[in-house]
Amino acid sequence: MDIVVCIGSSCHIKGARSVVEQLQDLIAKENLSDKIKLSGTFCMGKCQQGVCVTVDGFFFSVSPENVRYFFETEVRPKLQ
Amino acid sequence: MNDLCCDIGFKSINHAGEQLCGDHVDIVEQEDGNTVIVLADGLGSGVKASILSTLTSKIISTMLAAGLSLEECVETIAATLPVCSVRGVAYSTFTIIRLIQNHTAEIIQYDNPHVIVIRNGENWEYSKSEMSIGGKKIYRSVIRLQQDDVFIAMSDGCPHAGLGTCYNFGWQREDITTFMEAMSLCGYTAKTLSTLLIDECDRLYGGEPGDDATACVVRIRKRIPMNMLFGPPANRDDVDRMMSLFFSKEGKHIICGGTTASVAARWLNKPLRASLDFEAGDVPPIAYLEGVDLVTEGVITVNKVLEYARDYVHENRLYDTWSNQKDGASLISHLLFEEATDINFYVGRAVNPAHQNPDLPINFNIKMNLVQELSAALAQMGKRIKVSHF
Repeated sequence: MDIVVCIGSSCHIKGARSVVEQLQDLIAKENLSDKIKLSGTFCMGKCQQGVCVTVDGFFFSVSPENVRYFFETEVRPKLQ
Repeated sequence: MNDLCCDIGFKSINHAGEQLCGDHVDIVEQEDGNTVIVLADGLGSGVKASILSTLTSKIISTMLAAGLSLEECVETIAATLPVCSVRGVAYSTFTIIRLIQNHTAEIIQYDNPHVIVIRNGENWEYSKSEMSIGGKKIYRSVIRLQQDDVFIAMSDGCPHAGLGTCYNFGWQREDITTFMEAMSLCGYTAKTLSTLLIDECDRLYGGEPGDDATACVVRIRKRIPMNMLFGPPANRDDVDRMMSLFFSKEGKHIICGGTTASVAARWLNKPLRASLDFEAGDVPPIAYLEGVDLVTEGVITVNKVLEYARDYVHENRLYDTWSNQKDGASLISHLLFEEATDINFYVGRAVNPAHQNPDLPINFNIKMNLVQELSAALAQMGKRIKVSHF
């Protein structure tokens, strides 16, 4: 599974760093590094909806506050 | 013309308890490519010394730059300087370094510690001819420049550092020379070298300088061009023209801005790989693109670079921060402040619709101002700047 987080200016201001770190944390804790590839990208052109994240190409709007919820609802179910 | 250029930097510390520095450095660049640098040390310290040294350096640099003779400069100073009521003399010592077309340096010294010249990492003794102008003993030398030559002009506050506390006779000229010989080989800029010397003086003074101390360093170096792309062009049809101009230029290439980097990656037909390493808290990670030396995020990174640039031309307190960190802004700072001598900016005027949101501190005007202010700060560092808009 590929998770890509935007690290452009706009998403950076909206907390991309925190989103990346929380995801890195979750992946490490649950030993998912062989199943999930986390990477960064520049502007996805949807800055209004930042922090922009894609999971296998599907777009999601994530904030530092709802990373956990996003992980449980959008990432974990797809791992099975 | 050869491909040498002069990197000039200076730093001062004030006599403990004084708000003004009694030393003054004035640099005048002439249109014909000659540069006149004057370091003057006014009698005493504080306001009086500051006025004396400012007048002296301004008068000499302006008159010499206008092509008047040294005799006339010295006579003018003697006739103009206010006479000290305590000591009954009008007095300011000075050192003049005149750089002629980047191939010759003329050094004229009056009562300041003699200029140290370091060539190939070693002290280089040069000949001085003595002359007398208006009863003042003045030494003149002419030196043919070589790459990596380092000239160090000082006020007497430097060799007096540590006098009576660390050393019986202060920080001797020979010891300063040894200290700087080692530093001269590290590739430090003139500003950094002068900062290292003055910081050491401050340390020897125990943080309470007994005199104003100033070091002005001139480093002869090769011209190094650098190119920086910032923002996509306003008109999509100009991408091809902008990219071919940018990539055809000699020197390293820096791209700032996510969208800009994506446009460049498409033009080069190479993948853009963003890293997720957050090095310094407030600057976004960098990215990698084959054929480009450095790819960073745009506005936030460049804003940080501007902060470093402003500090560098004044206090130079943040040097340790950006010279050690590996984030985008620190890497750009290293390339622009230390490596480059000639910087070409390619600035795209495209408006990013996503940034025109009142909640975001990154609108279009801010971006244009950033470039303007950054080029001003870089010009102050003595860089040659060219800005092209697209």
